[in-house]
Amino acid sequence: MASRAKAAREARRTATFQKFRLTELNLVPLVDTFVSIVFFSLTTQTLGDMTPTVNGVSLPQSSVGSLSAHEITLGIASRPAEMTLAGRRVMTVQAAAQSASNVPNEPLLIPELYRALHVTADSIRRTNDIPADQSVDATLAVQADKGMRYDLLARVLQTARKAGFKKVSLQVLKTGGEAS
Amino acid sequence: MADSRFHKIKQRRSERAPLTAHGGLNLVPLVDILTSIVFFSLATYTGVALAAMTAFDLSLPPTVITAPQPQTTGKQPELTLLLAVRINTDGIRVEHSGGNAAFRKDIPGLGQSSLNQLHDVLAGIARAYPDNKDVLVVPDDAVAYDDIVKVLEQARLASFSNIALGNRARATQVASASRGGR
Repeated sequence: MASRAKAAREARRTATFQKFRLTELNLVPLVDTFVSIVFFSLTTQTLGDMTPTVNGVSLPQSSVGSLSAHEITLGIASRPAEMTLAGRRVMTVQAAAQSASNVPNEPLLIPELYRALHVTADSIRRTNDIPADQSVDATLAVQADKGMRYDLLARVLQTARKAGFKKVSLQVLKTGGEAS
Repeated sequence: MADSRFHKIKQRRSERAPLTAHGGLNLVPLVDILTSIVFFSLATYTGVALAAMTAFDLSLPPTVITAPQPQTTGKQPELTLLLAVRINTDGIRVEHSGGNAAFRKDIPGLGQSSLNQLHDVLAGIARAYPDNKDVLVVPDDAVAYDDIVKVLEQARLASFSNIALGNRARATQVASASRGGR
């Protein structure tokens, strides 16, 4: 009697497990995942080496140089002729060229640009817990129009350095050869 | 029992049956994902143009020292050569301090032939002083940025990796925003 009940229980249990046994593998989520991976891999490979360019800048070209990273970008455009820092307009190029320094012994300083750069540098200092009198490690990428005169670039570089940027990178369009 | 997991699975499978009845894969999730990608691509599009770029990382530009500088301890890197490339609107001058007599080479113009000549001169200096990787480029105020980049490019091609931009002493602090002449 007991053995018959036991056998019946075993039969019921086997039947129950039989119902839940996987008989097929659903490959749809796997295919979806792989499609997403392939899509984003191709997108990253294509766009990953590219850098956003500042509007209105006609950049010089070079076949050599370092790898260009996505950094804080200072644009010096010609159409319209204005300076932008991280996409925000700072001042016109004409105003920058004609502005006079307000700091003794720093004749190249551009006060309005200095203020904008200093705010950015201070923000980086606060984020990275850097003392106020130290330069920041972030690189300032300069995208300048190829027609710009050097005297303006020299003033921009000097202003950037005084604002706390010790690394400056001149970004230009890459042509032909490999970056080194 | 009707609410058991097995029945739920069976019910979902029967609901999906028309979608896969033709024997293929269920493409609905794929379409969902692609729709999401398109939607967020359009939503995050900011109109920023992308371009393949390269960069010239500059050594610190010279600055006017207004405060006493701290005395650095430890060994400073030995300067093997003072190499300067001056650019003006008429041409390029290469100078260095190596050898018994100071070297000076004037290259007229800023065209491609002048740049080729500059490359030959710099490559010769690089071969003569293989330890030196420093070059100071001193453009004139009126030189266009494009010409400066071409000179920097030649310096990099000649294996000079530490490039500094210098500027001459100024009596005036006002720059010009107009295009540089050639």
